Amino acid sequence: MNRWIGPALAAPVTLWLLLSFAAPMLVVLVLSLHEYPDPFGPIFMAPSLAQYSDIVSDGFYYGVVSETVLLGIGVTVLTALLGYPLAHWLARMPVKYRALAFSVILIPLLTNVVVRSLGIILLLAPEGLINTVTGFFGIPPARNMLFTHGAVAVALAQVFLPFMVLALYDNLQNTSPRVHEAAESLGASPAVRFLTVDLPLSLPGLRSGAIIVFLMASTAYVSATLLGGKKVWTTGMLVLQEAIKNLNAPLASALAVTMTITSLAFAALCTVALNRLMPWLKARPSRPLSIPRWLVPVIDILGPVVSKLLLVAALLLLLLPLVLVCVQSFNDVPQATAAGFRGFTLKWYEQVFFAGTYADAFWVSVKLAVTSMLVAIALALPAAFALARFPFKGRSVLLAFWLLPLSLPHVAIGVGMLRLLQLYLMIPPFLGLVAIHVIVILPFAITLLTTSVMALDRAQEEAASSLGANPIRRFLLVIMPGLAPGLFAAGIVGFLLSFGEVTVTSFLTTARLTTLPVRIYAESTFSLEPTAHAISAVLILFTVIALTLVGRVVRLDRLYAR
Amino acid sequence: MTLSRRAFNKLALGAGLAAPSHIIRPAAAQEPKKGDELVVGIWGGAQEKIVKEHVEKPLVEKYGCKVSYVLGGTGDRRARAYAERGRPSFDVIYLNIYESRQAVKDGVTQAPTPAVKNFEALYPSARKGGYGVAFNPCTIVYDKRKASKPITSWKDMWNPEWKGRIAWPDGLGAEGISALMMTARAWGGTEKDFDLVVDKVKELKPFAAIQASQAQLFEMFDQGLCDLSVEFGSFTRSYVESRNPNIEIASPAEGQALAMNVACITEGTKNQKLAEEWINLHLSEPCMLAYAREIYYSPTVSNVTVPDDLKPKLILGDEQVSKLVDFDWDVINASRAKWQARYDREIAG
Repeated sequence: MNRWIGPALAAPVTLWLLLSFAAPMLVVLVLSLHEYPDPFGPIFMAPSLAQYSDIVSDGFYYGVVSETVLLGIGVTVLTALLGYPLAHWLARMPVKYRALAFSVILIPLLTNVVVRSLGIILLLAPEGLINTVTGFFGIPPARNMLFTHGAVAVALAQVFLPFMVLALYDNLQNTSPRVHEAAESLGASPAVRFLTVDLPLSLPGLRSGAIIVFLMASTAYVSATLLGGKKVWTTGMLVLQEAIKNLNAPLASALAVTMTITSLAFAALCTVALNRLMPWLKARPSRPLSIPRWLVPVIDILGPVVSKLLLVAALLLLLLPLVLVCVQSFNDVPQATAAGFRGFTLKWYEQVFFAGTYADAFWVSVKLAVTSMLVAIALALPAAFALARFPFKGRSVLLAFWLLPLSLPHVAIGVGMLRLLQLYLMIPPFLGLVAIHVIVILPFAITLLTTSVMALDRAQEEAASSLGANPIRRFLLVIMPGLAPGLFAAGIVGFLLSFGEVTVTSFLTTARLTTLPVRIYAESTFSLEPTAHAISAVLILFTVIALTLVGRVVRLDRLYAR
Repeated sequence: MTLSRRAFNKLALGAGLAAPSHIIRPAAAQEPKKGDELVVGIWGGAQEKIVKEHVEKPLVEKYGCKVSYVLGGTGDRRARAYAERGRPSFDVIYLNIYESRQAVKDGVTQAPTPAVKNFEALYPSARKGGYGVAFNPCTIVYDKRKASKPITSWKDMWNPEWKGRIAWPDGLGAEGISALMMTARAWGGTEKDFDLVVDKVKELKPFAAIQASQAQLFEMFDQGLCDLSVEFGSFTRSYVESRNPNIEIASPAEGQALAMNVACITEGTKNQKLAEEWINLHLSEPCMLAYAREIYYSPTVSNVTVPDDLKPKLILGDEQVSKLVDFDWDVINASRAKWQARYDREIAG
């Protein structure tokens, strides 16, 4: 076999990542070493540590960064608490219903973060759902739930819970039933078994889930802006403000780099700490976990109750905001965030469908999502073949590079790309957006398609070959149909990921080129009508339909399998 | 970087060919053609509705062009326009009085010219930094049910009954600057005494919220989240009349703070003629009167006949305008970055 095939197939995706991921990251690094902001100046200047010494010496930045880290840790703990019962529930679900149950996670995951944050506002507002419900029981309303760190943490937990659940599910599902039988035969009740067997065995999942959730939560700014009402500051908000509002790219870059380093440090700490809890991975002796005898009855009584309560809380947290958004789309209120049902109206839908509000932004989003999805698949497919069929040296290093965008703050890429577009005026802004969206999709597309390629039946290709089919015919008539479900799933997931992206996109949109979620976000920070909820409700419906279609060709729980 | 700029350009050009062609369409000619698109950055809500009716409609009728809007506060569009200097995606942006003057100095927007016919009718104070389109002073607005006595001075904000109930305006927008600068005036300082301002405003903390727009503020009033803020009197009056009669618009002894909306044409726009026509229509009588009637914005041109019932609610003529408190915008513009940093650190959060 030609040993160049693997590297050749891997080249396109690597090149794309070098250009649109590594290059902006490099620009960010270089910019962060600028002494002073010069929005129209060159990229290369004599390096200086001025920005970093500003950040280190200014108590304000120190405060925001540490607040962000604490917020990230809080969200991680919250998602782990809510994620375990949910993942456990999914893993125990009969296969027949599992696809349906999975949509509980996938629908929120693929709905854009602005819409979900708007839903949380309707939940926590003074006249929102929580206060209405507690009002029935005569509990006085809590008027100050919005604009607090708690509100931001709840919103972020809503947004990132699906990632934690997917990570945990992977592990919980892979635990052999025999292990459970063994635990039971030794007298462990379900609650004790969970604590002593499932929990330790799921630690690798917890590790990757915690790292992803922390990274995303500590760089998010959309939910923090909407629910913190400018009273809560996160590093991501600072980066956006410095890069866009104050045109201080060096400071924004230095903050983004600080953020990246903090995140990576946390990831490293998390890995080290959790690895120490898993000595068996390195084949070291481990002390069996034992629970004191007197505690067992307590756990047996409390365990089922607490886990059920958490499960209900997790399900409500995931789905309620979306339901509220749909309800609000029929609400006759002057402002989108005004909670409390005042009267039924269809006027918001009328504006969306007949007056054409958001139509431009919608089409930009569709074009962008379709283009990015096609490019991402065209890049990921050869890469998947390289990984699955043509092993070459350095493959694992390359794979790590390909998946890197998943674990570095997207905000940083946004700052770098913004600067590149300002310098190279000839690059159309649309191309800049495609470049970034492809990067967001690639990690998912690569993992999805690699599993699909590995699942192909080589015997069929050999049979075709023996019957005289040339490689092109083999590819078109045998391989492609075999890959169809995988391609379809990757296509839909890619489309939805791009369609809902806000974090990086809002750095790069222009007045003539704004995507739908970015437009809703921009308006929601100023004045927003429930038209936004009407179009969001349509999008939620659209996501449900898309997932139903995907569910017919691929098992939904495989969408994120690694 | 591992890649030379030339190589990168080549690559980008190649990739650019693959992008949909209408997105990388080259510059349109000066004289408006059917189907040209004018991009306008303006505030949402009532203002959007008025310009759609009184500016967009006649413009589209005359030229067959298309108008797109980017809605929001001035902070975002100002920043975008700066970031896009040399490649503006906006044609017309609406800015605040002080932002507009600085934007002209920075080469981001154009100085006003008689190419806009109604330029001649503009009051002199509305001919700086672009085309002034509305006078609308900022003042204290509050829930009168929560006040032990009517507010007659900017100092009344420091009355303990408002503690924890104030929604302070966000950042250094028109409302924010008015609130900060009137704090200086009320406590015996000037624009140069920002230390005094920060110290005094810090005394008001904790705030019920930070409000980033009228829409947000009015909703906070509706929901009982706050009882006092600093806002445009004009806009608040229409809110009071339509939604919430409990809100009072104060006339403090120190005066209300001058603010003006300014329409600006971006430097390098490809739709110069359309942009000029747009602004001319904005300054026309139907549009000015619609603004005056619906949100009590005062006209900036002298050739408008204001109906008698509206006169007491507006500020008419340079003489009345000169009674509003004006600030030293040079000092404010020069200190902007420094003040924003201190605002973030000591007032917000």
